[in-house]
Amino acid sequence: MLELVDVSKRFGDVVALDGAGFVVERGRILGFLGPNGAGKTTAMRAVFGLIRPDTGSVSWNGAPVGAGERLHFGYMPEERGLYPKMKVHDQLVHFSRLSGLSRTEANAAVDRWLGEFGLGERGDAKLDELSHGNQQRVQLAAALAPDPELLILDEPFAGLDPIGVDALTATLRELAAGGVAVLFSSHQLDLVEDVCQDVAIINEGRIVLSGRLDDIKNRSTKRRLTIDVDGRPWVPDVPGVEAVDGPGPSHFVVDDDAPVADLLAAATAAGVVNRFLFEPPSLTDLFREAVGS
Amino acid sequence: MSLWIQVALLARREFVQRVTSKAFRVTMPLLAVAILAVGPIVSLVAGGPAEATMIGLLGEETPGIEQEMHSQAALFDLEIEVIRFETRTEAESALAGGSVAVVVADEDEVVFQTEASSRLIALVHGAVDATVKTVALSELGLSESEIASVVAPTPMTITTIEERDLQDDARSAAAFVGAILLYVSIVLFGQFVAMGTVEEKQNRVVEVILSRVRPWQVLVGKVGGIGLLGLLQLVVLAGAAYVSAELADFSGIDVAAIGVPIIISLIFWFVLGYAFYAFLYAAVGSTVSRQEDLQGALILPIGLILPGYFAAIMAAENPDGFFPTIASWLPPWAPFVMPVRIATADPQIWEILVAVAGTALGAVALVWIGSRVYSGALLRTGGKIKLREAWKAAAE
Repeated sequence: MLELVDVSKRFGDVVALDGAGFVVERGRILGFLGPNGAGKTTAMRAVFGLIRPDTGSVSWNGAPVGAGERLHFGYMPEERGLYPKMKVHDQLVHFSRLSGLSRTEANAAVDRWLGEFGLGERGDAKLDELSHGNQQRVQLAAALAPDPELLILDEPFAGLDPIGVDALTATLRELAAGGVAVLFSSHQLDLVEDVCQDVAIINEGRIVLSGRLDDIKNRSTKRRLTIDVDGRPWVPDVPGVEAVDGPGPSHFVVDDDAPVADLLAAATAAGVVNRFLFEPPSLTDLFREAVGS
Repeated sequence: MSLWIQVALLARREFVQRVTSKAFRVTMPLLAVAILAVGPIVSLVAGGPAEATMIGLLGEETPGIEQEMHSQAALFDLEIEVIRFETRTEAESALAGGSVAVVVADEDEVVFQTEASSRLIALVHGAVDATVKTVALSELGLSESEIASVVAPTPMTITTIEERDLQDDARSAAAFVGAILLYVSIVLFGQFVAMGTVEEKQNRVVEVILSRVRPWQVLVGKVGGIGLLGLLQLVVLAGAAYVSAELADFSGIDVAAIGVPIIISLIFWFVLGYAFYAFLYAAVGSTVSRQEDLQGALILPIGLILPGYFAAIMAAENPDGFFPTIASWLPPWAPFVMPVRIATADPQIWEILVAVAGTALGAVALVWIGSRVYSGALLRTGGKIKLREAWKAAAE
């Protein structure tokens, strides 16, 4: 289990982290969300010792994270980069060995992941001879090949096509099922909602919401209301009901004690009700509420 | 896993990637072969028996002049051949074409093309003088042996108090070449360190590396791997130069007596000098984010190295001069100047110790300063960072 407790970091006058704390459990996937500049990358860098927090602690299974622990972590930074002129297989073996694998282990792991990503034949190619998508896969393989117990990916879905998204989703689920603790950041909230069991939302260096996604949704005092009356926009004249964006039928965010029976009655009076859903809020709703936009 | 195993892995990558690169695989053997070829070519061009000096005769001549010229030439230890010209035009064109060194006209004029050789003047003058006197004396009725006793030059032994020491000259030349090789190696491999550092920043691979190892490990691995390559190149090129000198077959020079100590000294001073400068190169390399900005940043190490290089060139000529002597003591320049002074003069043992200790201490200081700047600057991309900012950033 990775645990950040009360981590703060300033760069000159800029407060990048302001007492941030969250937990990534083994076997689970945590979506790390926040607006640009909220402190996501700084928090991830703190885990890898790339920046030294001013205060607070980062621990793995209860012990402070040091060089030894980091060998069991895999990291894919937002700013992707490998050696463009080095052969794919060679550089993956190099990075795996830096993470403590023996030559034999490294070769086996690299073969496995290149095979998994359909790049088994491209091991002898130089990185810059590969397509953008394949370079992205190699980058991911560099994080995965050392067989990490904790995997941290900064914007791993950025730039992937839908098939790539599906493949990466499947890989992450498989890794988590195998006991790996996975954290990734993303701006694609629907994707996070689909893939993650846990979320942490950061804003201005502070974690404003974190925990199990289901619990957060259930704990929320808001509910999402979807009403389709005759397939046309319809706004109920009920206090405390605000419309949110959504395709097709009308979407509303309402308090959890909203008068559902009155709403349904009003809708039925207005026309033929094709759909009437009263459900926990979506991650997007929660995110908007948490970061106050 | 030991931190040093990671350093070794990083060094290995630097070494293997470069040694297997096409540039290195092509340039190195070519350079080595070119150096190897120099010796035999020099031998071929300079070798073979010395050619005879051609002396031209024009117009009136006293009988016996040619024979007298040969006996005079023997005194000068000179091989000559005499040819005759019918006209002055013919003689002058032969002079211009270089087929004769001098023309004697009517026994009262000595003609050279550009520069008069006093040796040839003396030879011609002696020969003409002797033949004219022989004729005059024989007209006076003196016997041949009487004439010979008057005309024959008084034999003189030629003594030089100090033999010109070819060995010393060769040692000077070798030290000079060594100084250039050392300078080129340190600048070249220092630049590789700087370029490698920028490359990793520019490719953003540095964050992937630093998630696994500490900045000082990256730095030491890089400097170590590239240094090993530099050492390999230095040994191969110096070895080629040595073999080439052996093949050149210089008479009177013991190549091994000069070559072996100079190669050992080159390796020693390369290691020390490279250690000193490589960390500086890495530090300045880490302050820029793009290769295009690197040239400006390299002014610092180059500016520090150049006076040492000039002092080394001066030391080959005048090893005990004021500037070379002082420069050979000071850390930034000792690696270039001291090996030249050791080869060409006899610096005191304390001078050598000061040079070695100073450079070693300087290298240690630069490892520390360089690592700190490097750590502070490595993750900062976009634009150039001042050395002082990078120094401060390392503390954050």
